Amino acid sequence: MSAAYLLRRLAAILIVLLIVSLTVFSITQILPGNAAVMILGEYATPAQLQALELKLGLDQPWYIQYWRWFSGMLSGDWGVSMRLSQPVAALIGEAFWRSAALALASLATVTLIAIPLGILAALKRGTIVDLVIGLFAYVGTAVPEFVTATLLLVFLAGPDRGFLPAGGFAPLSEGIGAALSHVVLPAATLSLILTAHIARQVRSEMSDVLSSDYIRAARLKGLSERSVVLRHALRNAMAPAVAVISLDIGYLLGGILVVEEVFAWPGLGRLIIYALQNRDLPVIQAATLVLAFTYALSNLVSDIVIARLDPRVRYA
Amino acid sequence: MRELLRHPTGLAGAVLLAIIAVMTIFGPLIAPYDPQQFHPLSRLQGPSVAYWLGTDQFGRDILSRILTGARSTILFGLGATMAGVAAGGAIGLIAGAIGGAVDSLIMRLLDGLLAVPDLLFTLLIVTVLGGGSGHAMLAVAIAFMPGLARIARSTVLSVRTREFVLAAQARGESPAYVIACEIMPNTIAPIIVEATIRVSFAIMLGATLGFLGLGAQPPSTEWGLMIAEARQYMFRNPICVAAPGVAIALAALGFNLLGDALRDLTDPRGRR
Amino acid sequence: MTQLPITRRSALAGLAAATALPDLSYAQGAPKTGGTPKSGGTLKISHPTRVASLNVLQISGPAEYLAVDMLYSGLTRMGPDMRAQPDLALEWSADADAKSFIFKLRPNVSFHDGKPFTAEDVVATIKTIQDPKSASPARTVLSMIGDVAAVDPLTVKFTLNSSYADLPISLAHANARIVSAETLKGPLTALDTKANGTGPFKQESFDSARMLKLVKNPAYHQPGKPHLDAVEMHLFPDLAAETQNYLSGAVDAMLEVQQADFKRISTAPGSVGVRTPSGRFVNVVMRQDQKPFDDVRVRRAMAMAVDRPTLVDIILEGYGRPAGDNVISPGYRYLLETTAPKYDPTAAKKLLAEAGYPNGLKIPLICSNRPAIRSQVGIAIKEMAKPAGFDIDVQTMPHDTYLANVWMKGQFYIGYWGMQSTEDQAFTLLFTTDAAFADTAWNSKEFDALVAKGRATIDDAERRKIYAEAQALMVRDVPSIIPFFQDVLTANRSYVKNWVGHPLARYFFVENVWLDKA
Repeated sequence: MSAAYLLRRLAAILIVLLIVSLTVFSITQILPGNAAVMILGEYATPAQLQALELKLGLDQPWYIQYWRWFSGMLSGDWGVSMRLSQPVAALIGEAFWRSAALALASLATVTLIAIPLGILAALKRGTIVDLVIGLFAYVGTAVPEFVTATLLLVFLAGPDRGFLPAGGFAPLSEGIGAALSHVVLPAATLSLILTAHIARQVRSEMSDVLSSDYIRAARLKGLSERSVVLRHALRNAMAPAVAVISLDIGYLLGGILVVEEVFAWPGLGRLIIYALQNRDLPVIQAATLVLAFTYALSNLVSDIVIARLDPRVRYA
Repeated sequence: MRELLRHPTGLAGAVLLAIIAVMTIFGPLIAPYDPQQFHPLSRLQGPSVAYWLGTDQFGRDILSRILTGARSTILFGLGATMAGVAAGGAIGLIAGAIGGAVDSLIMRLLDGLLAVPDLLFTLLIVTVLGGGSGHAMLAVAIAFMPGLARIARSTVLSVRTREFVLAAQARGESPAYVIACEIMPNTIAPIIVEATIRVSFAIMLGATLGFLGLGAQPPSTEWGLMIAEARQYMFRNPICVAAPGVAIALAALGFNLLGDALRDLTDPRGRR
Repeated sequence: MTQLPITRRSALAGLAAATALPDLSYAQGAPKTGGTPKSGGTLKISHPTRVASLNVLQISGPAEYLAVDMLYSGLTRMGPDMRAQPDLALEWSADADAKSFIFKLRPNVSFHDGKPFTAEDVVATIKTIQDPKSASPARTVLSMIGDVAAVDPLTVKFTLNSSYADLPISLAHANARIVSAETLKGPLTALDTKANGTGPFKQESFDSARMLKLVKNPAYHQPGKPHLDAVEMHLFPDLAAETQNYLSGAVDAMLEVQQADFKRISTAPGSVGVRTPSGRFVNVVMRQDQKPFDDVRVRRAMAMAVDRPTLVDIILEGYGRPAGDNVISPGYRYLLETTAPKYDPTAAKKLLAEAGYPNGLKIPLICSNRPAIRSQVGIAIKEMAKPAGFDIDVQTMPHDTYLANVWMKGQFYIGYWGMQSTEDQAFTLLFTTDAAFADTAWNSKEFDALVAKGRATIDDAERRKIYAEAQALMVRDVPSIIPFFQDVLTANRSYVKNWVGHPLARYFFVENVWLDKA
């Protein structure tokens, strides 16, 4: 992997951001309805509306507005939330780290569960273990998050059987136990679909590797099955697994929208939903851009990891 | 087709989808009640002889609502996917077949759109269009477009250098003919596989939009919306939530299984 | 499960609702529940809507009302009996024709930053509200104030443009809390995130996505209060999660309880449901400046096609009272008892035929999807009005689409409004020609004249008569269908004492709350 390759990838990310920013900006420009009405809501008096319309001053041509906004984004001035009257950068900054904590917890869970499950299924192909894992994988990908979330709320957070908090967020300052207990249900919800999906992919990759000439050769050399699996097969199946996980990060970033809403997790997903419902344009624009940037960056990181894992992959 | 039914995953998927198809086509005819009819004296009841799956908060028959809801839910998934396939396929085909600057421009654009998570992209579009089932369907189709275009393009690229295409070009056929008669037929299989799996994803996206209040709207019997409306009442009658939840899962499962089986059968690497 | 009367009431559902008013003997400084209040502890309250801003002059969200009621004090405050109580004002007097008022202020009150509270702060606050730039909902309510002046540091004089007997009630408006003159000199946006009031609690930390934390104001003007050391307001956007969270004991009180959950919450061990009759209502707007609702017979037919007691049963779960299209509910002072139109689809059908629709009327009814009660009412009315010949096509849409395309413009849609403090406020909110939200286009000169006359009348009996006429007019002309009044429902753990409901849902008296815990 060369420095030139990295630079090229970073440049590509910038182009992606430019396109996303243009897309989101034009979407927010054509939202229906008077912006002031949308922001103040149904019970605002005409005087309130007038005052806000003056304040917004959305009378410039779109390209000037776009340039102002985009150059602001680059220079760190992300504007002020129309509804929450706080700097967008501060709002998003705080929400971002909370979402990141949730996303990382989910990813860690997924990695720790999905990969072993997939390997197990591949090793025990055709047995009842494989069937059970396969069933779980299929059912898991067929249940929308809001249904999973509702089930978890009812069965694990209720007054009768509940031992986990029914949502909310506790910062680390309130103790590691409190912080962790609040992560469990939202992370579990997010993990279910991903675990199912990734376990399925790992199983099929692992099956391929196990039946490859290369492994057959290793077996013929008289290596123990344990060493064949752990040293040779696993290593070769890891790269595709990472590739799948990196693709699923996009799904994860969408999933936080629903999960944060249900579990009162004060992250980026909920901020976006709130901003969409209240037409908070600066927040919608900046938050979308941040999500897209995160996704693009995570793809780059996973490509690097894949290159490390799989000697066959070379990036020029 | 026979191969598909011999494939265990394919068989399971086909059976599930057959049930769903019957519900979609005949649901409103076999529903025992008018799905909107109130029965104020039998609200939130459990299963009984009169109401097989019980009743919801207005005393409406849940079974009848599930049966009629199949149509809006499944058609949503199929419609959104087919529109996405048509648009994305066309774009990918053109990009792949023409190549050059047009191709790289389109690809850069698609990369940009792909960087926005599907659900967020859908939400943004639905907010512009103004919610409702039709708009949500269009939004999902638009959100699907870049991904499908990419798949179509890469298939085209792999086909473009095959002998029969080169032969047609050597015969002096017009580019339009080459695209339509030589390239397109050979890209259909991978797209169908992808589309089948996407239908289940579209159904789930549609349900999620209904849940967030941006998809189907009351009094529609779309399954995601049914769950959203009934969540308040789930402790008084859990079937209100469970029945549409199971229905969504079965439909999504059916398309998933079928899609996987199709992939196994069409992908040469996948015969294992 | 402790307070049995509440649960019994819920069991009797709609029947008891009309008569079962809550214990209104509660007054400032006189705890409702027995026992000596214990000091200390943190009260955790959950709420489903965001506290987006702390700007007391502008806020309008249910949870925001609770926040500013704890942070700020006004000159007066509305008691649960719908009368103005002294707050920062100790007493007041008016001249004979109610055109000039003198308010005596409470001495030795200070803002949270330590600065003393004086008449100058009152003058500055009222003047800011009157400035359109402040965008305060209190502006229209206080529009009759011509001039406000400080007579001395503890006396304020209001001079009104016209006679207005209810000024002390208008000054109790949730957005007319007193802000320090010094704060008002700076940019008003500072109020959004930083509160400096004279209320029983001070702002400690504010994260609008998660929690607002307040701590006791030791210098609060009511001696010995507040009892609590701190209050935490936790945001739970999902109602199912909020309920589970409360029932598992993670918070001590819920600001709002959904009708569907109220029985479960009231009967859960260690939980008490608090039910307060209110004048909050859903209405069906029927615009009169176009067909078909320009004909009063169509509107009356519609009124007869709505089964109100059944609506109370299936949508409010019994927690409300049927209403008869009169915006004035029993909680107001000058209610005219009218009978609601009886559900009579046959008569409605006949009337509809007389109005020129012998084959019925096909019409779309627009509902926003937030809150859910709007589409629930729409769907129910569709079913009820079917036999009367109304073929209603219920069209639900996301709230923002509704705001953009239907609100204040639509011909036939569902509105949702809170109770107001006075008859005058209720009438001028929706129904007079110059009302802030005149979405029915009733434009009745007769009604306008009565409202104007009632506003300037001081004599109580005379006023009652005038307002009775206005209400009779409303019932006769049916500018909109008001099928029921919805109760205000809240809940608390049984160790929480003095957490009360209020028909206006804007005043909470948290300074009286204490925790009966070891």
